[in-house]
Amino acid sequence: MSRLSAAMLLAVPAIAIGGLLAYVRSPHVTNQAHPVEQPIEFDHRHHAGDEQIDCRYCHWTVEKAPSAGIPSTTVCMSCHAQVWNKSPYLTEVRKAFFADQPIPWVRVHNLPDYVYFNHSIHVGKGVGCATCHGRVDQMGAIEQAAPLTMSWCLDCHRDPKPNLRPAEFITSMTWAPPTDKAEAAALADKLYQEYDVHSRTSCSTCHR
Amino acid sequence: MNTKPDSAPAQDLPSSFALPVVSGTNEAKPHAHDHDDVVAVALEHASTRSTPAEGAYGKTYWLGLEEKLATPEFLEETRPEFPVGADLPPTGFARREFMQILGASLALAGATACSTRPQDERMVPYTKTPPEIAPGNPLHYASGMTLAGHTSGLLITAREGRPVKVEGNPQHPVNQGAAGIFEQAFLLSLYDPQRARVLRQGNNPRSLRVLAEDISSLVGTKAVGDGGARLRFLTEPLNSPLLADLKARIQRKLPSAKFHSFAPISNEAADTAHRALFGQPVQAVYDLTRADVIVSLDADFLESRPANLGMSRQFGDRRDPKNGELNRLYVAEHRMSITGGMADHRLRVKSQEIFGLAAALAQAVGGPAGSLAASAKGGTLRPEVASWVQAVAQDLKSKAGRSVVLAGERQPAAVHALAQAINAALGNVGATVKVVPAAAPEASGLAEIRALVEDIKAGRVDTLVITASNPLYALPVDAGLAEVLDPKQNANRKALSVLYAGHYEDETSKHADWFVPLAHQLETWSDGRAVDGTVSIAQPLIQPLFNGVPEAELYALFLDQPFRPAYQLLREYWTAQGGEAGRADFETRWETWVSEGVIPGTVATAVTASPDVGAAATTVSAYQPPASGDLEINFVADYKLLDGRFANNAWLQELPDPITKIVWDNAAILSPATAKKLGLESGQLAELEYGGRKLQVPVTILPGNADDTVTVALGYGRTGLHEVVAKDVGFNANLLRSVNAPWFDGGAKLTKVRGSHTFARTQYHWRMEGRPLALDMSVSELAHPSTATEHVLERVQGEHKLGKQNNLPDFDYAKTPAEGYKWGMSIDLSRCTGCNACVVACQAENNIPVVGKEQVSRGREMAWLRIDRYFEGDENNPAMVMQPVACVHCEKAPCEYVCPVNATVHSDEGLNDMVYNRCVGTRYCSNNCPYKVRRFNYLHYTQGKTPTEKMLMNPDVTVRNRGVMEKCTYCVQRIERVRINARVEKRLIQEKELQTACQQTCPTQAIAFGSLADPAQRVTQLHEDERAYRLLHELGTRPRTAHLIRLRNPNPALVATAPAESKPAHEGGH
Repeated sequence: MSRLSAAMLLAVPAIAIGGLLAYVRSPHVTNQAHPVEQPIEFDHRHHAGDEQIDCRYCHWTVEKAPSAGIPSTTVCMSCHAQVWNKSPYLTEVRKAFFADQPIPWVRVHNLPDYVYFNHSIHVGKGVGCATCHGRVDQMGAIEQAAPLTMSWCLDCHRDPKPNLRPAEFITSMTWAPPTDKAEAAALADKLYQEYDVHSRTSCSTCHR
Repeated sequence: MNTKPDSAPAQDLPSSFALPVVSGTNEAKPHAHDHDDVVAVALEHASTRSTPAEGAYGKTYWLGLEEKLATPEFLEETRPEFPVGADLPPTGFARREFMQILGASLALAGATACSTRPQDERMVPYTKTPPEIAPGNPLHYASGMTLAGHTSGLLITAREGRPVKVEGNPQHPVNQGAAGIFEQAFLLSLYDPQRARVLRQGNNPRSLRVLAEDISSLVGTKAVGDGGARLRFLTEPLNSPLLADLKARIQRKLPSAKFHSFAPISNEAADTAHRALFGQPVQAVYDLTRADVIVSLDADFLESRPANLGMSRQFGDRRDPKNGELNRLYVAEHRMSITGGMADHRLRVKSQEIFGLAAALAQAVGGPAGSLAASAKGGTLRPEVASWVQAVAQDLKSKAGRSVVLAGERQPAAVHALAQAINAALGNVGATVKVVPAAAPEASGLAEIRALVEDIKAGRVDTLVITASNPLYALPVDAGLAEVLDPKQNANRKALSVLYAGHYEDETSKHADWFVPLAHQLETWSDGRAVDGTVSIAQPLIQPLFNGVPEAELYALFLDQPFRPAYQLLREYWTAQGGEAGRADFETRWETWVSEGVIPGTVATAVTASPDVGAAATTVSAYQPPASGDLEINFVADYKLLDGRFANNAWLQELPDPITKIVWDNAAILSPATAKKLGLESGQLAELEYGGRKLQVPVTILPGNADDTVTVALGYGRTGLHEVVAKDVGFNANLLRSVNAPWFDGGAKLTKVRGSHTFARTQYHWRMEGRPLALDMSVSELAHPSTATEHVLERVQGEHKLGKQNNLPDFDYAKTPAEGYKWGMSIDLSRCTGCNACVVACQAENNIPVVGKEQVSRGREMAWLRIDRYFEGDENNPAMVMQPVACVHCEKAPCEYVCPVNATVHSDEGLNDMVYNRCVGTRYCSNNCPYKVRRFNYLHYTQGKTPTEKMLMNPDVTVRNRGVMEKCTYCVQRIERVRINARVEKRLIQEKELQTACQQTCPTQAIAFGSLADPAQRVTQLHEDERAYRLLHELGTRPRTAHLIRLRNPNPALVATAPAESKPAHEGGH
């Protein structure tokens, strides 16, 4: 009896703490796999998938600014002034455009305020969109694909090679490293050299 | 155990806590105790350290008088490391209440804990993105700040349409990239939620249209009637070509309307002297790069606007021995000023003695100056003044054509005339002194006010338009303008209609019939001339936040023409300037002017006329310095608030005064001897009586003030209706001032009264226990060091081995640029004047909160960068050394190994990173930091910000919460931004593209920053300079910031006669 209670004395807190640690890392807490409803039913499956529009057409600052940019209504209207310009799906977009009122999109990828993430450096060094954002072309409503925890960031910063891809495929949703392990490693080494990758792990890289 | 610290360095060593052995000097010396017993050493150290100064190092440096004299009160107050109350929990609500609130919030937490999903955060993109904006990337715009008739060229950083940082415009010939404290704090005044926002007539809000119609009918009647003979304007000095043009156009429409201009702090005396000497409105522009000898007659030229930024740069360049022989600065002044602190020879004189001194100097120099001086009634000089004058004159004559004499703006025209005559006699005019047409040619002194008041009293005025900055506060009490505008004191007030345009509902707006809130300069288009004539086009960065009216649009109302926005007025004016030829390519030129911020070719050309010394003879002979009396009263413009127009600026209010280190207050400043004579002590209240007026003032004692003088700063004691920050801070010295002697006069009386006043002074906060920190020596001493100096140099520069105290592993930092970066900073004490610009720049860049007087007095001020002001030598007539200290980013940082949560760690480039999100607030790091540069958020200083104040924040820097430690980061956000840009472009960071905020703003370029791995960078060369030393080198912390020894260039002829430095009074220990 006393042995059991001694074991319980150790096991219960251990399980409780372990459970909590697991819980905060679970997709439920990191907000993964949780499609977010937006004010306008914008479908990436159609735009990025069927139509094969390059990510950078709408998120045009991704290569030169910290933020990839949420497209302004003008960008929507650049196509939809001609295409589907009478569609009831787009009523709200047209209204926003002509009333000069911005569309209040709901943020999906939300880092804490003390984290400074920069898109341009990641894209510039061969980290593709799909690496962090997942198969956006298969998402009806955008959801967070990666946990976005610090350990997830650090995994890649400590060993970026598996996540590098050639610049010409940077926005590709379907690119995959060569299946042959040696070949993949060779490509990773080559890109690592070519793009002069120096991923940093100092605190001030992200926290300022 | 030797308890006498003022002996040879070898004997001093045991009393220094846990020192690693300094090589070479005394390894063989047997120590009085066992080095292992660290605790005992520490205790012993504490008990022996009751003397504040490091007497062992030849010189005595002290932060303040109390320390120098080591009064028991001082020791009691400052023995603990932190001021009393520093570690008290925040007051606000009682503990029980706290528990209740805690309980309530826990209950709420229970209700919401089921969902960890944060509230939806919205992202609001542009409808049409402006083509130049990439969200997250800053944009830089050239603009300008016009202050009392001179425009400073600025470069403003904007993020997504909101200005977040002000820098000097590198293309502006005066600023050359530098900005002073007012430029830096200009940004806060833009977002000040207390700015006026309602256009009103009496107490009724009105639209601009109603005002426009009112003015239109007024102008219409007047134009056909008396031509505006009863209309008066009271403006700031008009240095804006556009406003000057609008004025001329108003005068064409209303030929009899009169314009008066007024600035509380102006160069009126200099202008009068120059008008007499040169027969036209001119001003002098000084070139200190070619001046080997500089004599300042009460001229605080390194700090007093408008030329200070350019002159500081030139002066600083000549204090670096790498640039050739040092210049020599003589200063004669009544109080310790920033310029006086930089002097090689400083003479304490009363302000009224300056005239006699100037006359004697002119006499000694001879030539035309001598003949002018012959008519002066300066009285006889004290013997020490006379001998000083002789030595200075000798030095000046030996550097004829390579010297300059400057007179201060507080001195009368006679002194300016004498100074300019000396310059002429020495052949400096045309060499170091350039005479150019005045930027604002009208007179703008008190005579203008006198004329206006007389006209109003005589009933010759029915409409008065005031755009001058708050004249009813800034004028001396007997100027009379307040009386004629106050309905209670002027029975005929109803016959006068007053329109006041200002930024705040202030003392002047109280008596205005119409009040127009002015648009801030960063909200509207304007132009203006700098002191050298350069015209800047100042573009707006943001739409008016509070419906302010641009000044130009207000003037244009009086033209009674269809409305034109300020932009159009400005363009129309400048289109007309080029003539027909210029009109053709105006668009291209305009684009260049706006983007560069300056109009090329507008630097004023020198006037060829030589000064007619004879014409100034009456100015000099007519001047009679005020009778000396017992006590001379001196009014000075405040270093932080100027004439009070910056009183509502919390950054400046909380900035320590560069000399007294007082925040949120002004004081009556006395010399130690005078205070003793009057039986007064620092912090006591006294009644200051002058000219039959009395005012209760708190007293503070400041070494370096002239004896028998009292100095009071203007700009405090504001009573403006909505100026909440400024309200009841300090006392209003204008209440004593007289128009007859606006700057100094004899016959003041100071008597002690009951009561005391608590100043919040940062003087003794964050002390480093009196080790040799700020070092200064003469040029010859550095070249041929004495034994004592050698010991000091050995201690601060010598190679030393780390013993068992080396509790951090060595790290292999980059050695070449290709291997990476090794960040480091250097601060040259020879260049640093202590102007504080870096402190405000740091505050703006790094979102540093303002905490208020009470918090500061508990030692909780947050400024990451502080400037330690040390006195040295005699307590009545000390020399001064300024030393900026921020986190020095030790390679072996004592803060790091005491942090239990790894919240402060080292980067591979040598940065001591502070990770706010890890910090739990133990404050161990601050405790263990020998430099005392860490700041703790005792309260949630950033909460409760208004929407406009939130716009001020730099989005690249975390806004810290309560309970978090913070400190200088070497502007890591700037490093990371340029690093990312450079790495995207696959190149290395260039030295030029990376500047810390303090470095960028520094007017003297005292601060350098860069990678020590690159031998070509300025910072690396300065680190290897023979003057470079490391702060608290003997602790083995290996700071990345190097300080450079301050050099002095004394005149050998005066050194012999100078009083020897007095020995510390407390020799022998306690």
